Amino acid sequence: MARMRFLCDTERCIDCSGCVVACKEGNHVPVGINRRRVITMKQGEPGEKSLSIACMHCSDAPCIAVCPVDAIYQRDDGIVLVDKKTCIGCGYCFMACPFGAPQFPKGNVFGARGAMDKCTFCAGGPEENFGKEETQLYGQNRIAEGKVPLCASMCATKALLAGDGSVVADVYRDRVFKRGSGVNAWGWSKAYDKS
Amino acid sequence: MTNSLNDIRHAKSMIFIGSNATEAHPVSMQHILHAKEVNNAPLIVVDPRFTKLAAKATEYVRIRPGTDCAFMMGLINEIIANGWEDKEFIRTRVAGYEEMVEVAKHYTPEVVENITGIPAKQTRRVADILAKSRPTSLTWCMGGTQHHIGSSITRSFCILQLVLGNMGKSGGGTNIFRGHDNVQGATDMCVLADNLPGYYGLAEGSWKHWCRVWDVDYDSIASRFASKEWMESKGFSLARWYEGVLGEEKIESPSPIKAMIQWGCGSNSNSQYNRVVKALNMLDLLVVIDPFPTIVAAVTKTDNIYLLPSASQYETSGSVTSTSRQIQWRFKVVDPVYDSKDDYEIMSLLVSKLGFADEFYKNIKEVPEDITREINKGTLTIGYNGQTPERIKAHMENWHTFDIDDLQAKGGPCDGDYYGMPWPCWTTEHPGTPILYDISKPVAKGGLPFRNRFGDVTTYVMTGREEGQLAAKGVCNPGSEVQGGYSEFKEVVPGTNWKTDLSQETIKNAINRGMAPFGNARARCVVWNFPDQVPIHREPLHSPRPDLVEKYPTYEDKANHFRVETRYKSEQNPDLVKQYPYVLTTGRQVEHMGGGAETRSSKYLSELQPEMYVEINPRLANDLGIRKGDMVIVESPEGAKITVKAFITPRVDEKTIFLPFHFAGTLMGESYLKDYPEGHAPYVLGDPGNTVTNYGYDIITQIQATKDGLCKVTRA
Amino acid sequence: MRRLIASGVLIMIVYAVVLVISTAIAAPTSMDGLTRLFSPEYYAELYGGITGDWQKYGGPFTYLTSDIFWKIYLGIICVVPAVFFLHYIAVGPKVFSHEGPQIRFFSRFTIVIHWLGAIAFVTCAVSGLLMIFGSFVGGGGFIRFARYAHIVAALVFVIPGIIMFLTWVKDMFPTLYDIKWIFILGGYLSKQKKPIPAGKYNAGQKAWFWLSTLGGLTMAATGYIIWEMGMALDTVRISAIIHNILGIGLMAFLLTHMYMSLFAIKGAIQSMITGYKSKDEVDHLHSRYKYE
Repeated sequence: MARMRFLCDTERCIDCSGCVVACKEGNHVPVGINRRRVITMKQGEPGEKSLSIACMHCSDAPCIAVCPVDAIYQRDDGIVLVDKKTCIGCGYCFMACPFGAPQFPKGNVFGARGAMDKCTFCAGGPEENFGKEETQLYGQNRIAEGKVPLCASMCATKALLAGDGSVVADVYRDRVFKRGSGVNAWGWSKAYDKS
Repeated sequence: MTNSLNDIRHAKSMIFIGSNATEAHPVSMQHILHAKEVNNAPLIVVDPRFTKLAAKATEYVRIRPGTDCAFMMGLINEIIANGWEDKEFIRTRVAGYEEMVEVAKHYTPEVVENITGIPAKQTRRVADILAKSRPTSLTWCMGGTQHHIGSSITRSFCILQLVLGNMGKSGGGTNIFRGHDNVQGATDMCVLADNLPGYYGLAEGSWKHWCRVWDVDYDSIASRFASKEWMESKGFSLARWYEGVLGEEKIESPSPIKAMIQWGCGSNSNSQYNRVVKALNMLDLLVVIDPFPTIVAAVTKTDNIYLLPSASQYETSGSVTSTSRQIQWRFKVVDPVYDSKDDYEIMSLLVSKLGFADEFYKNIKEVPEDITREINKGTLTIGYNGQTPERIKAHMENWHTFDIDDLQAKGGPCDGDYYGMPWPCWTTEHPGTPILYDISKPVAKGGLPFRNRFGDVTTYVMTGREEGQLAAKGVCNPGSEVQGGYSEFKEVVPGTNWKTDLSQETIKNAINRGMAPFGNARARCVVWNFPDQVPIHREPLHSPRPDLVEKYPTYEDKANHFRVETRYKSEQNPDLVKQYPYVLTTGRQVEHMGGGAETRSSKYLSELQPEMYVEINPRLANDLGIRKGDMVIVESPEGAKITVKAFITPRVDEKTIFLPFHFAGTLMGESYLKDYPEGHAPYVLGDPGNTVTNYGYDIITQIQATKDGLCKVTRA
Repeated sequence: MRRLIASGVLIMIVYAVVLVISTAIAAPTSMDGLTRLFSPEYYAELYGGITGDWQKYGGPFTYLTSDIFWKIYLGIICVVPAVFFLHYIAVGPKVFSHEGPQIRFFSRFTIVIHWLGAIAFVTCAVSGLLMIFGSFVGGGGFIRFARYAHIVAALVFVIPGIIMFLTWVKDMFPTLYDIKWIFILGGYLSKQKKPIPAGKYNAGQKAWFWLSTLGGLTMAATGYIIWEMGMALDTVRISAIIHNILGIGLMAFLLTHMYMSLFAIKGAIQSMITGYKSKDEVDHLHSRYKYE
């Protein structure tokens, strides 16, 4: 089975935040919750690089390991999802995540965190596909429609690649070969090396 | 642009000057980065600011704002001095070259260093890169045009490309990225003060041409003007319309401006914005037609304003022209929501009320298809006649058949067409012209020579030399009946030329003979009807270099420049820099667009860019005692002030400060939050950057000089 | 009073040290020259800031949380009661006469405070355990409620915690005979009834005091950091680790404390209800107690 992966080509990312807005608009994510972010290093200096980061859907994901209520699970295609009805908002996944992916909307009890929200790879949640509940809790389910996640599909420079890991790797390898520069598949070793 | 966004994929080098494509045109970046990666094309970025585009550059050139022309002439000089110019191209297709070379000689790398601040070594290196990696795609945007010598600057860009022989070549060309999806279309329809649609000008013949197209009586149109003189003279331009209201400057107009319709216009993109606001309040009638209540709706204190909610692009349909001169069809997704109406309906209601609907809609029964057909009928100058609504829609339905590299359909219903039939598309069989001035293809297949527009022979005032303006012998498109240069086509149908022959027989005749309707001439380096026949550097009106003001002074004052007296020499004060020591430049953010009425009303975009700010170099900030997040006051020589947050960043250098111009909602210390219609205030308010942009207008086009003013910065 | 101040200063120092250690993050080193701007090494360095801190504490946190802590907790709540059960069977409870003279041990105020603290503390312990083993219940609303209860109980505990600390601290400093008490494990392994070396509070009680008050307040502080998550991520991770380790200790001691008061000494709990202990009990278990 295909193994879904993200790859952000830092040579191509232009810090336009198109992925961020596409994600929020498409999944109706509340303001303040960033399933995806663009990080810019060395802003305004030679060597400035930008990088779009969301949940990498790691193999052997640390968030799954630390979750005390087993709210986070991994599908066969590698997509890591959270069951918001099970999640208690403890925040352990955020502490375990190397990518800062888990997000917590403010809950209504003592300002405690609500259920964790994160990138779903546009694959919805555990509820019935395209159901009202799934859409409300998690947003779109584009994977079930046979589409790539919104962020990657809207990326103007094709910096953000998403889909079958081996195809993504091929596309990237081809680019690196043409460029003649080093391989900088950022985050891959951290996210996928254990697989 | 002479080429297309996709064609940049073939560039062997790229130079961007006064363009921040990553923020203003992010979608173009895939082609730019493709050329950089696949062709290993050097990417040269010339900008006062280390922009996000500069982050992708292989060569970043920091230039002093307003000195682009000097740098270009320096490159030209360096290229010629080394014998790197394309001699054959110049011999056969360029006019006024010798005169230009004489002028360029002054701009040695050392002189360029003194003017622009670019090290002589770097000028030499850039010239070397351009010479050795041809063709070069040259791109400029507002950073190149918004100066009082903007027209000279843009001409110097073109001359560089002529000298390098990069015109009419795939991967070369002068590629001016246009802003929104239909800015090119709006330009072609000449939503301007000095032109009828299709760049026909304002002469009697032009009016008569369009009256024939519209099928209305010329006299009835003429009777609507105060006199024939005013009918044929330029109006107020967008940059200075408010002078026609304020009456503070000397104006040449039969009457002050009393009423105004702002149709999809972010007024805070006007410089000296506080004066614009004053004018808005003095109007008898102001109508704002926009999907969002723009800042105009809030800043007006009088009861003179009507807000008409218009539909967005998703709620209407019609043809639009992209930056690559491609015409595309936009389909309606939903009907206009709430009380909004689409632009066609608003226009129709307005025209009916004004009582000339019959004449207005004489040819237009089916909206919007018939509008496109009327454009097809009349816009012959730039070849808008082959893109019928049917062809455009066919292109939209067959996207997949077009090649991403050369934009040509390979098979399918649109076989051979270039995507969007980029103008000129001379006939309904013509595939469109993907690259302007490309003589390697037959005209019928999308080739084109340079246009013959300025006579066949000219004697230059500068040198007294006489030169033929037609292309050299043997230089023409394949299959041309005349092997060499030829004049434009006229009198094929008696009494008309190719531009005014509505039967289009003249155009068909030319195409059948393998020739371009507009002739085959040379591109000229000398423009004898401009104040600077060859582009030269002139110091910005508000210059930070008093020593250079003497050496490169501005123009004489110009009376009746788009109806307003415009100061040049009397405005240029070498001592101004003592009071206003920092160069002020403005620009865009990727998150917001134009005046920002729409984007600042989007919660997600507002979250990403929630505040107006000023970019200050860390060194300057430390010298001024400004810390990150401090509020600072930026003051213009005109006395306007804005209070904004300091963003300390090495993007700008120590003498320059940068303002994004998308913000509005507060002005000179007053907030207009409460003045928006209830529930319609944008999420983000801020001082408009254009409040402090300086006086200064281009000598030819009157575009405002927002990129090279002066200012004072103090802690709030 | 001087002891009080000294203890306060001590606590402050401990907190300061914890904070300093936890927020210390190595500053990324800068690189010069444009030549390496496209190299993998450059990226590694550039983006080190994002994952660098993860490598420092994120990894240990993940390992401890996923593989270690829950096993220890499980061990504690299974093994400790089992051991006590065996003790109850083999050694049996200590029984003292409640007939003789009664000695006032706790004031009414102390008793109220104790029970207030106790309820809050036990709630914290139970809800904490529920969270750790939430997956057995399937998470969701019940465990979410446990989490809210944990937060409320922790807030409730802080005040009695501080008061208990202040009321009892003067009697809780270690003495020499405490060492002896530890060696004989308070005499609980023997069925014989003989005087045990202890003052008003024995070494076990002293240990429990220090752990539950200072430890409890540390739990509250680290808990606040975890709840608020506003600090540097590594501070939060370290707080979570401390919270868990302390939790293990507290859990063990809490179980012991409960066993002692409920089972190991018959009727011992009465003293925390009435405030009086029988002289018999005091003479044996607190043989060095100086009657006031």
